[in-house]
Amino acid sequence: MHVRGYLGIFGALLVLTVITVAVSSLQLAVGPTVALGLTIAAAKATLVVLFFMHLKGEKPMVMWPLALTVFLFAALFAFILWTEGDHIVGPSVGA
Amino acid sequence: MHGTLPYTTEIRPDTGLTNPKLGIWLFLASEVMLFGSLFSSYALLRSAAAAWPDQSAVLSVPLATLNTIILITSSATMVLSLVGIRAQRFDRFRLHMGLTLALGAAFLVVKVFEYADKFAHGLVPATDNFLGLYFTMTGVHALHVLIGMVVNAYLLWPGARMWRTEPQRFTNRVEVAGIYWHFVDVVWIFLFPVLYLL
Repeated sequence: MHVRGYLGIFGALLVLTVITVAVSSLQLAVGPTVALGLTIAAAKATLVVLFFMHLKGEKPMVMWPLALTVFLFAALFAFILWTEGDHIVGPSVGA
Repeated sequence: MHGTLPYTTEIRPDTGLTNPKLGIWLFLASEVMLFGSLFSSYALLRSAAAAWPDQSAVLSVPLATLNTIILITSSATMVLSLVGIRAQRFDRFRLHMGLTLALGAAFLVVKVFEYADKFAHGLVPATDNFLGLYFTMTGVHALHVLIGMVVNAYLLWPGARMWRTEPQRFTNRVEVAGIYWHFVDVVWIFLFPVLYLL
């Protein structure tokens, strides 16, 4: 990737930052706010990891340990859902 | 002429990678779990809480937005420093690495102002679970920024001597330092909405 491509990714990251702040100022309900906030963050992180960290096109020896890491990372949250799932939709912000 | 470490520049046949490249990704895998433990602690404490403060009212969203822009910009300058050194343009490398270092410092200065403002209002880690998490997570992250700045400063000044003797090995060091620096950016990309916006 050349300088122009990297600047394009940089621009996209700035736009997504503006969007995430704008969305949070809409004062939506907690559910949509969390879902939108984390989705935009995931999109930004994906851009950084694929293009700035050059994970796109990286060797399998990098991909497999990372896949295991993603699984274990998700497991941390799965345990919380398992134990707290009954009231995870519970108290809203400021309530 | 190489040191004692094997495969710093040539590809190791069985992994298809240089050792530093594999090493930084394995290290970052452990870092994902470190921050994963902090983010999942946040999720557990917040989901189990009877009430939770309005985070954006406790913290400064404008300062955090500024810091987000600073860190994203530093990621862009970091990758441009790699583009520079790969093109054998040491001047471009030095310019962009210098900018990356300055932006890292700017991030920490903003963070110091944020912390000082909280302390001035009597808001400390012991105040409640949210502030305990806020100071722990942003503190661990700021430590990562500081360590990245030390690495970047090394590459910019004393470590830059290697460019004249072993240019390929130096280029790989810039690449690996960049992968770490971008990871620190990725962590902030999640900390920003989780602690300030949601």
